[in-house]
Amino acid sequence: MAQVMMKDLNKKYDEVHAVKDVNLHIRDKEFIVLVGPSGCGKSTTLRMVAGLEEITAGEITIGDRVVNDLPPKDRDIAMVFQNYALYPHMTVYDNMAFGLKMRKFPKVEIQKRVQDAAEILGIQELLKRKPRQLSGGQRQRVAVGRAIVRHPQVFLFDEPLSNLDAKLRVQMRVELKRLHERLETTAIYVTHDQVEAMTLGDRVVVMKDGWIQQVGEPLELYGKPANKFVAGFIGSPAMNFVDVKVADANGALWAETQGLRVKVPPIHTSRLVPYKGQQVTLGVRPEDLQLASGSDPSEYVFDAVVDVVEPLGSEILLDLRAGNSTIVARVEPTVRLKVHEKTRLALTPDRAHFFDLKTELAI
Amino acid sequence: MGGLTQVRPGSVPHGPAQAPAGSVRRREILVAYALLTPAVLLVLGVLAYPVAWEVWISLTSFASRAESRSFVGVANYRTMLADAFFWRALATTVVYFVVTTLAKLAVGVALALLLARPCRGRALVFLAVFLPWAYPGGVTVVAWYWMLNPPLITSYSVAVGHWKHAVDGVAGAGAYTFASVALFNIWRGASFTAVFLLAGLNAIPRELFDYARLETRSAAQRFRHVTLPLLRPFLALAVFLSFTTAFADLANVWMLTGGRVIFPVVGTYAYWLGIRSGEFAEAAAWSLSLVPLLLLALAVLFRWFDPPREAPA
Amino acid sequence: MLIERTWKRWVYFYIPLTVFVVGTLFPFYWMLITAIRPDAELYRSWRAATNTPFWTLQPTLEHFRDLMAKTTFPQWLWNTFFIAVASTAISLFCGLLAGYALARLRFPMAGALGTSIFVTYLVPPTLLFIPLANIIRTFQLGDTPWALILTYPTFLIPFCTWLLMGYFKTIPKELEECARIDGATRFGAMLRIIFPIAVPGILSAGIFAFTLSWNEFIYALVFLSSPEKKTVPVGVVSELIRGDIYFWGQLMAGALLGSIPVALVYSFFVEYYVTGLTGSVKG
Ligand SMILES: Nc1ncnc2c1ncn2[C@@H]1O[C@H](COP(=O)(O)OP(=O)(O)O)[C@@H](O)[C@H]1O
Ligand SMILES: [Mg+2]
Repeated sequence: MAQVMMKDLNKKYDEVHAVKDVNLHIRDKEFIVLVGPSGCGKSTTLRMVAGLEEITAGEITIGDRVVNDLPPKDRDIAMVFQNYALYPHMTVYDNMAFGLKMRKFPKVEIQKRVQDAAEILGIQELLKRKPRQLSGGQRQRVAVGRAIVRHPQVFLFDEPLSNLDAKLRVQMRVELKRLHERLETTAIYVTHDQVEAMTLGDRVVVMKDGWIQQVGEPLELYGKPANKFVAGFIGSPAMNFVDVKVADANGALWAETQGLRVKVPPIHTSRLVPYKGQQVTLGVRPEDLQLASGSDPSEYVFDAVVDVVEPLGSEILLDLRAGNSTIVARVEPTVRLKVHEKTRLALTPDRAHFFDLKTELAI
Repeated sequence: MGGLTQVRPGSVPHGPAQAPAGSVRRREILVAYALLTPAVLLVLGVLAYPVAWEVWISLTSFASRAESRSFVGVANYRTMLADAFFWRALATTVVYFVVTTLAKLAVGVALALLLARPCRGRALVFLAVFLPWAYPGGVTVVAWYWMLNPPLITSYSVAVGHWKHAVDGVAGAGAYTFASVALFNIWRGASFTAVFLLAGLNAIPRELFDYARLETRSAAQRFRHVTLPLLRPFLALAVFLSFTTAFADLANVWMLTGGRVIFPVVGTYAYWLGIRSGEFAEAAAWSLSLVPLLLLALAVLFRWFDPPREAPA
Repeated sequence: MLIERTWKRWVYFYIPLTVFVVGTLFPFYWMLITAIRPDAELYRSWRAATNTPFWTLQPTLEHFRDLMAKTTFPQWLWNTFFIAVASTAISLFCGLLAGYALARLRFPMAGALGTSIFVTYLVPPTLLFIPLANIIRTFQLGDTPWALILTYPTFLIPFCTWLLMGYFKTIPKELEECARIDGATRFGAMLRIIFPIAVPGILSAGIFAFTLSWNEFIYALVFLSSPEKKTVPVGVVSELIRGDIYFWGQLMAGALLGSIPVALVYSFFVEYYVTGLTGSVKG
């Protein structure tokens, strides 16, 4: 159990600058998730913590030791890989015992730890099998078990669920979360799946092109994205973006573009004043749009035409066109609308987001 | 061989056979046999006669001097087995195979591990490493002969002579020639083994080695518990290939030097009996005596390569 | 790769690698130095003050000139080339068909046939060439290139088949199935989809076969007798060793001239070759 600190961390390969000035303080017992599109440097960051990649510049501290020059085996970490990295020539038991054997633990202790871990994960009856006789989910459990037996200070996970089918992934996600609550070990978890990140992480780190975009609790990222990238990356279906012009009329600010004109909500007005007459990006999440009813204030209502209807059961996703913009709205399952039908949408005023067109930062 | 083991019937869990829909299935079988015909004709067809001939001859008294050829049963084998010389030759043969194969594996593994690391000028190193194998063995053996056993008048034959004397003095007469043939075979085979094992290393998922780096305390530990077991299938195949080149090189050395630089091993002595002395029947018996050994080695390798699987989950 | 001290890198990497490379190349260096050394120097006394065993001060091309003038070396080159290309083509053709059948079709005796084709690779030529010589004589193929073109496939096909079979297995079945659903016949799918994808495998099998036939020695020695019919390895060795007399300089010159081109071409394809091998073993 330990905190992990990354200070001005950088990684350069020959041509690629994979990780750029990463600063991160991971608290003791925290479950932190690194998320971002593929190639954004998540794995590289994790592998530097593990000691599998050399650190180009910066410093990593685990507990109170600077580990830059420590070989991986001395860092007191355990890692779970995407393809499980189970040894095909060893039984499940031997795979799980491997790290302890190499560290010359007494036999009895090894046996006890493996049994305990197997019990936690429900894989006692698999211990004598070889990895190739296991299903994907079982292999996944063994890979996790192999990390648990080590009782490390930090768990590192590199996309451990990516090779599982959707249903199993959801199930394992819950199990991992439960496991973390039970073991209370600091964990760094890498994934490209934002749902996984949101559900698992105490805090989530969004990365892109080697830069950290934002660090925060899941709902903070969802509610207050720092920039357009985070806003679009977190949440599914993704946030709608419409480039609008800020116009001044009737003593209020309006966001307008062809076929769409809504009032700038009061909470944003003061910050948008400097943008008067300029273009900005308006962001609205699909769940913050409803079909307009008579009671909705008309300043936040606009016309749209239905393009596609996607009934999901618990809700319906509508793909609509408003002027030149395409927009997705998430509406009640009771709504009955047909393709090409005209309708009116209302947005929830205090849930609208505005982004600078150039810097893409939230306004 | 990885492929071979998978052709065993029943190892493919799905496929058209599950639904033996009469004519479709029959057509597939026909197509398969049609496709295999040229290969089978050329390989088995061309080889069947010589092998059968060899077996038959070994059971007769055929020799260039004998006026008639009669069936003698296993008499040739009995003579051979009673011959102390045969057992010495057999021992030498086995030692030759074991020594060269082990050496090739050791050098090959070491070299493969070196080549697996990225470094500048890697292409050139590859070329250097591959040259001994790509170069005609019949030609390089002459170069080696010239190097290690120069004729007396050559300028450096004095120096080599001292060496030869020293080696033979320590390990017994013939040790130097044995060593030079073995060295030649190792030189030629090790680089091929290395490139082959490198292919094997690259085929192993990198994460397996990453994990080993996290969990093991030393490079030696990692090598013993991870690298070596993971390479096992490739090593088995390398041993198999080593056998074939060891044979070929031995024959090359023998032919080239007119039997000078050689100690009796089973293959060459058989040739000597057959071509030089015209004792075809005895020669055939000698050549065939290696077959059981080869089959045994092969069976062991197959097992080693593909250990029987436990009942699947 | 990781945090590694410089001296360690030298001790565990550069020095051993250099030793390997120097060790493997030394015999070639020796060939070269012999080929360009004047005869007088070859046979100079070891203790002579001017003796320089590891280099020469008067390099000469005399041996190369002699080689061209006194032997039919260019003819040998052509023979070798022709035989190698023809036997490679035959072996590749058979190997492609057989490899495809073994990798993709299900039929009785598949395992047995596959194994027996492969195991023949292990049958040593010393066991075979006396009876093979008989066959060659019976069909009156002795002293013609066809003697070799027909015998080489016996050891080329097994390896080609195995290599290609492994390679075919790495190609997803769906690619072919898709083509067949789109209306291609099995042969059409094989020719137009599978073979083009298998080009690295085919290339490496081809290179392998070509080198083996270029280098083959024993069969060529036994089956060919006229000097102008010989292949390079046999010609060089048999025409330049007369009884006990070795024309060392010319021998080495011939060895260098006849083989360096192949070896170089080969080395260019090493990457392809390795990919092909890897594919097969994984398969
Ligand atoms: N060994 C390497 N050599 C060169 N570039 C690499 C290496 N490993 C990763 N990269 C590059 O670094 C960037 C980040 O990779 P990675 O951390 O694996 O991304 P991801 O976020 O998908 O895990 C990518 O552009 C990748 O191409
Ligand atoms: Mg990654």
